[in-house]
Amino acid sequence: MVGCAGAGSVSSRRIVAAAGVVAALLGCGAPARDAGTATIAPFITVDDFGDTLRLAAPATRVVSLNPNTTELVFALGYGDRLVGRTSWDLYPAAARAVPSVGDGMQPNVEAVLGQRPELVLLYASASNRAAVQQLRAAGVATLTLRTDHVADLARIAPVIAAALGDSTRGALATDTVVAVLDSLRNLPRAIEPRRVFWHIWDAPLMTIGRGSYLSELIDIAGAENVFDDIAAPSPQVSLEEVARRDPYAILAGPNSAATIRAHPGWQAVRAVREGRVFVVDTTLVGRPGVRMGEAARHLRALILGDSAR
Amino acid sequence: MTARTWALLVMLLGVAVVVGLAGGSVPLSPLDVWRALTGNGAGDTASAIVQGLRLPRVVLGAVVGAGLAASGTALQATLRNPLAEPYLLGVSGGAAVGAVLAVVVGVSMPSLVPLAAFAGAALAVLLVLVVARASGAYADPRVLLMAGVVVGAFCNAAIMVALATAPEESVRGALWWMMGSVGDAQWSTVRSVSGYVVAGIALLAWWGRDIDVLALGEDAAASLGLDVERVTRRIYLTASLLAAATVAGAGLIGFVGLIVPAIARALGARTTRETVAASALAGAALVVGADLVARTVVRPAELPLGAVTAIIGVPFFLWRLRGAAR
Repeated sequence: MVGCAGAGSVSSRRIVAAAGVVAALLGCGAPARDAGTATIAPFITVDDFGDTLRLAAPATRVVSLNPNTTELVFALGYGDRLVGRTSWDLYPAAARAVPSVGDGMQPNVEAVLGQRPELVLLYASASNRAAVQQLRAAGVATLTLRTDHVADLARIAPVIAAALGDSTRGALATDTVVAVLDSLRNLPRAIEPRRVFWHIWDAPLMTIGRGSYLSELIDIAGAENVFDDIAAPSPQVSLEEVARRDPYAILAGPNSAATIRAHPGWQAVRAVREGRVFVVDTTLVGRPGVRMGEAARHLRALILGDSAR
Repeated sequence: MTARTWALLVMLLGVAVVVGLAGGSVPLSPLDVWRALTGNGAGDTASAIVQGLRLPRVVLGAVVGAGLAASGTALQATLRNPLAEPYLLGVSGGAAVGAVLAVVVGVSMPSLVPLAAFAGAALAVLLVLVVARASGAYADPRVLLMAGVVVGAFCNAAIMVALATAPEESVRGALWWMMGSVGDAQWSTVRSVSGYVVAGIALLAWWGRDIDVLALGEDAAASLGLDVERVTRRIYLTASLLAAATVAGAGLIGFVGLIVPAIARALGARTTRETVAASALAGAALVVGADLVARTVVRPAELPLGAVTAIIGVPFFLWRLRGAAR
């Protein structure tokens, strides 16, 4: 656990440095850039709920109800536009200074409106539909985006960047991440990649299925999800089935890892008997955002024991 | 009950245990199971699965089934109502409140959830007795039943409040717990639940004669010299705590306490002692079998055990109801 925390902090420093370079390029140097693409007004787009977003001018007061988009707005250099976030948005550190409006799913609409936003960014979950309707009825623009997969970042970053004024910042911010992911993908792969079990919930025991973001991330890291034959994003499975599939390692958050090591039933799984329960930095890998490259490296270091650059 | 019926029940339980140990994600033959249990000749994974996963869950299932069925038998006889079962009398509601609060408040130690459930159930049972006493009639089965229903309704409201304000993940955990499962069985759980269940069944069998007398009716029992109020209270308390212990071990598993006593009576059990013993055997076999269904039909996932017993229990209950209406 100590080892992986160390690895995490080293790579996070590197990414922070990279983000700093991007911000410097974007922020202070902005006036020198081509004014024609910098501001597109009015901005019109259709979001993942099928709602049309029309902005006469770039939004200056933004509430982000998705930790992913909060990270992204900061990475785009627009952190100062945020006037609200959810209680889950703790990265980057500057995000903590933004007032919290509570939960991001089924948000408290009154608390959001209290921040007098011009634009609200939401996660495209059915449970947010009512909130979107209420916000739009109140005359607040909404942009509801699905952030479920690795590819979503490159898709949504330019849209958010454009809504905030400068669409080119989107590509700039995501290019670094995509480059890291591609470099990992292009590393030589084992003929039989190590198969891992990802523990996401204990009672009932749940893991990740094919096509889920974490499964994609495992693949990029050069390993394989042992339940990749199930199409559901977070299927429930039995412990006995885990034992039968005999994964090379178990990936789990810090609390879950402790539970797994202590629970006698888990001894039925060879990886647990042989001490390969790896603690994942869940705050880092949990969301398909701007830190995906760092997350994939973290996984690769955990599973393959090397820290590919 | 004839000796043949007893032998049949024992055999039924034996078959359920063997099939329960053999069936699952990795199908094993009874011979493989034997090798895995004795530790010679079976592969590492097979013996780890049988010894580490299947054996504790089969034993816990048997103990929980026996406890619920015996508890239901005693309550039905004492309250003279075939609908009486531990869950109807506040136990399930109280246990659920305790467990949901523990999960929602974020008790990080999973081992505290069963304790909280037991505490909740015990509190609810005491509350039922207090309500019954306030109405002035302990011994009246109708009062106890109504008090149980009212306490249960109150518990439901408390659960809704807790769940409405809880984060999504803990809601899922709490709901899953309420649906019942022996999938998480550990020997420590098996030991503590077994202690309660063995003691509870022994007490109920010990008081079997009292329950027989009570079943004659309140007045008849009183005229035969029985302290009706004390006996009713004692049996209600014992049977409820017995059920509460099973809930702490495996969550809410409905219908076992309701239908198994009826099965035992249909098999010819007459006295309370006979019915308690036969119910315990049949209940154990039923839950072990239901758990096998729960973990095999939707592989690699598992169904909640409470759902399986309800799916088995409802048609049976309707069939009994039809017979009773004629």
